[in-house]
Amino acid sequence: MIQANDLSKSYDQHEVLKHISLTIPAHQVVAVIGPSGSGKSTFLRCLNGLETITGGSVSINNHLLKATDKKKTRLKTIHEIRQDTGMVFQQFNLYPHKTVIENVMEALIIVKKQSKSTAKTVAAQLLKRVGLQEKEDVYPSKLSGGQQQRVAIARALAMEPKIMLFDEPTSALDPELVGEVLKVMKELADEGMTMVIVTHEMRFAESAADRILFMADGQIVEDSEPKAFFAQPATERAQKFLAKVNEF
Amino acid sequence: MDLVIDNLPFLFKGAYYTLLITVVSMFFGLIIGLITAIARLKGNRFFRTIARVYVSIIRGTPPLVQLVIVYYGLVDYGIELGALTAAYIALSINIGAYVSEAFRGAIQAVPAGQTEAALATGMTEGQAIRRIVIPQAIRISIPPLGNTFVGMLKETSLVSVIAVTELLRSAQLLIAQYYVYMPFYLSIAVMYWILSTAFTFILNEIEKRLSVY
Repeated sequence: MIQANDLSKSYDQHEVLKHISLTIPAHQVVAVIGPSGSGKSTFLRCLNGLETITGGSVSINNHLLKATDKKKTRLKTIHEIRQDTGMVFQQFNLYPHKTVIENVMEALIIVKKQSKSTAKTVAAQLLKRVGLQEKEDVYPSKLSGGQQQRVAIARALAMEPKIMLFDEPTSALDPELVGEVLKVMKELADEGMTMVIVTHEMRFAESAADRILFMADGQIVEDSEPKAFFAQPATERAQKFLAKVNEF
Repeated sequence: MDLVIDNLPFLFKGAYYTLLITVVSMFFGLIIGLITAIARLKGNRFFRTIARVYVSIIRGTPPLVQLVIVYYGLVDYGIELGALTAAYIALSINIGAYVSEAFRGAIQAVPAGQTEAALATGMTEGQAIRRIVIPQAIRISIPPLGNTFVGMLKETSLVSVIAVTELLRSAQLLIAQYYVYMPFYLSIAVMYWILSTAFTFILNEIEKRLSVY
């Protein structure tokens, strides 16, 4: 479903991602963890073209994006990739000038060219799914962080993505609001969605993910099963990281 | 005072032209400004350069000079414009540059995450700008636009030099007829002030209307 081949990303001289190769099959839930600055978010953003790759290639649901592609080909491929992927951001990025339901409807109308009434039905169902049916007509600023992030998940799901990308979805939330977002994500995982989650929630990664990618210095240092990883990480880098995380 | 009251209809006609020139120039200035702002932020190198040079020239030259170039200067090339038309063109081009700066700042003030979120749902860059960025930028741009428009209203007095009978020139004509200055100048000052205040009020209302979220 997702395939990275020798994927690299650098800004000027600074190499953020170094020759990453991996395959993620359909329905797999992958948690990407690691210290900040390790390139986790950049890696995720390369998967849907929010960052331009500078080396290698990435293939999403058989849409192959190569660093050597001409701009026109690249934009076309990225556009196709984005039809198959949904993304959830750390800062939610809901549209503040639109109500909750309009946030979910927007891409249905603009990208999928659905009629307003069809989009409304779809959006209402999704909001119900994330437990926010009673908030349809309020503006995002009136919602808690957890509620906003659930709307953002509904907005991404509206496009019926085959892959969901989560970029630290709970990092901007008050601790007591983390659970409601993780619950929605867990349900999604149980339904068989292919998911890549950059997260600092170790317990969630352990319980919900099928696979852990531990990144450091722009590389995937460890790629293992959650149980094995959290019981005894293979590399010293990962051991140190986990020790730090569990310090208090 | 009686003189002013007797000639109020004439002064009102001047106020009408002042208002007309302001509104027409504002309208075209908004269009020019929006296009210029987008060209500067999203255009390729060619359009970026054109937009930048345009803004630089307009902001770096006096509006009075711009006006006489359009009205008198173009005559040399066989382009003879009516005074009112010349006023519309010169002032639209002038205000467009200032509007574009207000828009540019506002577009940049919309967080990058907004565009990213829109792109991630499959929108094209154009759709993201039109549907997500511009609506938010318009609200942000209202206070600076308000300043620009009020400045514009006062700048229309410049077109009196090309014989458009707006407020200032109607006062001058009356002065030439009656040989008294103060009452006429004071009354047009009051009229300018009332118009500016009304403008500010309307813009505040629009801002409130857009601040539902």
